[in-house]
Amino acid sequence: MKKLLAILLSVIMVLSLVACGNKTQGETPSNDDQQQNTETETKTIKVGLICIGDENDQGYTYNFIRGKESATEALAAKGINVDWVVKYNIGEDSTCEDANIELAEEGCELIFNNSYGFEPFMLKVAPDYPEIQFVGCTNQGSWNDGLDNTHNAFANIYEGRYLAGVAAGMKLQQLIDEGTIKPEEAVIGYVGAFSFAEVISGMTSYFLGARSVCPSVTMKVQFVGSWSDATEESNAASALCDLGCKLISQHSDNTTPATMAQSKGAFHTGYNNDMTGVAPDASIIGCRIDWTNYFVYAIESVANGQEFDQDYCYGYDHGDVVLTELNEKIAAPGTAEKLAEVEAGLADGSIKVFDTSTFTVEGETLTSAFALDTDGDFTPDSEEAVFDGAFHESYFQSAPYFAIKIDGIEWLNSAF
Amino acid sequence: MHNENKVPLIRLAKRDMMEPWKVWCIRLASIVLALLLGGLVMAIALPDGATPIDGYATIITGALGKKTAIRQTVKLAVPLLGCALAIAPCFKMRFWNIGAEGQITAGAIAASYFALYWVGKVPSAVLLLIMGLAGAVAGGIWALIPAFFKAKWNTNETLFTLMMNYIIIGVVRWLQGGPWEGRPGSQIIPQFDRAATLPKVLGVHCGWIIVLILVVFMHVYMNHTKHGYEIAVIGDSINTARYAGMNVGHVMMRTMFLSGAISGLVGFIVASGANTTLYDGVAAGVGFTSITVAWLSQLNAFAMIVISMMLAIISKGAETLQTRLAVPASISDIITGILLFCMLGCEFFINYRLIFRSSKTEKEAAKE
Repeated sequence: MKKLLAILLSVIMVLSLVACGNKTQGETPSNDDQQQNTETETKTIKVGLICIGDENDQGYTYNFIRGKESATEALAAKGINVDWVVKYNIGEDSTCEDANIELAEEGCELIFNNSYGFEPFMLKVAPDYPEIQFVGCTNQGSWNDGLDNTHNAFANIYEGRYLAGVAAGMKLQQLIDEGTIKPEEAVIGYVGAFSFAEVISGMTSYFLGARSVCPSVTMKVQFVGSWSDATEESNAASALCDLGCKLISQHSDNTTPATMAQSKGAFHTGYNNDMTGVAPDASIIGCRIDWTNYFVYAIESVANGQEFDQDYCYGYDHGDVVLTELNEKIAAPGTAEKLAEVEAGLADGSIKVFDTSTFTVEGETLTSAFALDTDGDFTPDSEEAVFDGAFHESYFQSAPYFAIKIDGIEWLNSAF
Repeated sequence: MHNENKVPLIRLAKRDMMEPWKVWCIRLASIVLALLLGGLVMAIALPDGATPIDGYATIITGALGKKTAIRQTVKLAVPLLGCALAIAPCFKMRFWNIGAEGQITAGAIAASYFALYWVGKVPSAVLLLIMGLAGAVAGGIWALIPAFFKAKWNTNETLFTLMMNYIIIGVVRWLQGGPWEGRPGSQIIPQFDRAATLPKVLGVHCGWIIVLILVVFMHVYMNHTKHGYEIAVIGDSINTARYAGMNVGHVMMRTMFLSGAISGLVGFIVASGANTTLYDGVAAGVGFTSITVAWLSQLNAFAMIVISMMLAIISKGAETLQTRLAVPASISDIITGILLFCMLGCEFFINYRLIFRSSKTEKEAAKE
């Protein structure tokens, strides 16, 4: 017993030495920090960001972090110093509510929630902190909930998808023209997360982009039932390649579809991040949302005490949707020129992504589709989205609402 | 010489009853040791300019520094306490129920059904009562299944209860993507109507009152009833219980139903009070963490209040630690792990004694 106590005591003494030693070392730098803060007279604003993952996903959350960093730089140039408080790996459950409370209590004036499933929990906290602005990125329940301090934001990512589709279609058409594949073998495989409006809208615009330059193209879609499941995404890409798909694209968070496409000798276009690094012989191009503009806009507004848009959505012409660098080594000749042409067309309105003359639904032209659900049964029932010869995506609200199955896209499963 | 080799360097021996003050000294020392080891981890992980003392101060103020913080801490402690109470009688009986996770989930599903489909048909208070009752029955039945098999065919309850967890969590996934899904493809069940939400008392959903009542109930049940006595006897020796004429299988099933029912009630509290929706992670590991709570409290219902609050403080404080000092969340998990390890580990030293091979025994051995 005595020996045991002696050992315990000695351990305690050693450890307390370590603890105290550190304290004296640590005091000096913190004083310096304080001095620096008082010397510079820039406006400082505390901003919270709640993330579903962390940078290591190299996809969805990484894309937000990249936006956060470039926004910080842009704002610093405007004399606004952003003190970010970031919470990583938060679940879409009451821990998200706790994270929002936590950030609000820590003095954040603006809190971004980066995942779709965060919104209902964010909205439980928002009424208690009317002076703090809450943003539910990619969701749709905040702009019309009657609260002044809740916001939604998204981008016209379907434009980026359309452009990536053009690059993909160019590649397939090149293979047809060279005689490598027959016209009917031009099949795209699409790895989707869920059969959810955002995904359906994205894959349809992608397909329409491809078909605008490769008329014989068709597409098979495999849903994996998760936004981020590296193994399942890889399996889905593998299965699609085995079904004869010559090119893989994805609406999921990981880079595994790109690497699988490469190992199966197929081509690929990515999402959220430049995937040419991991699959240099397969990945042609990618598209992503650039959150910089929105972050700058929202933070600057709050810093200056101004109100800002409750439902923000801009597209390619505004710089909110960007293409990653074209992989010239494998892209079809003339892709860059064609992309520039389509970009110009999108900007001046001469090209509409969901032009109803370019697709059919069960053999018929689409003449009517509602955009918004007002009675809460999750079926759109108001605001006619089809007019002027096109379906108007992200027109009545920022979150996508195109959820129609069009001809030419085959759903291999729809359980999710 | 060869005799000496037979005496190992350290031997273990069962202790006789220790004096209570000594026991508490060991426990206190283990906590101090845990804090110091945790401090060492923080010294490595904290950014420059912050000391482990700052770290602990942040944990305490983060969990208890403000009214809102205290509310959140209590909210975290409620399911831990409730579930520890649920598994206590099973453990007392030496029936290793590690399926509380699944029993919570089963209760949450049943409660959610009424929250989603009975809202507007009955007044709010009645609806909540039905939800609570449904949760308790569902949790109880989910626990009764392994107990029945154990009683009838003496199956291994540890594996059985564990496997039951995965089944019920799979059921929630199916509901999330299937019949109960809100916006198509979202995999999210809509938020409950206000009528199906537990009202708040002092800023926290009233689940905390329910679990405090359960504390008293469980204390009385375990210590002052015939049922509690039967449980204790079976825990000590099944043969003694049989000899005394107890129907062991019957008591097992009854106790497991009660245990599952309380877990199910916790499931209802979590779904209706904290999340106001159902999702596959509704139990959030509480079913497992509460095992620690129950053991640390020595199955004492009142001690569970303290232990569950302590774990909640660490958990909430760790969140603040991450927010204020930008420490990775995993660091706080390490600190919690160290603390639990030391506290559970010290029970070993309370029950056993280490005997070192001393020079005296060597001499004795040499003489022989």
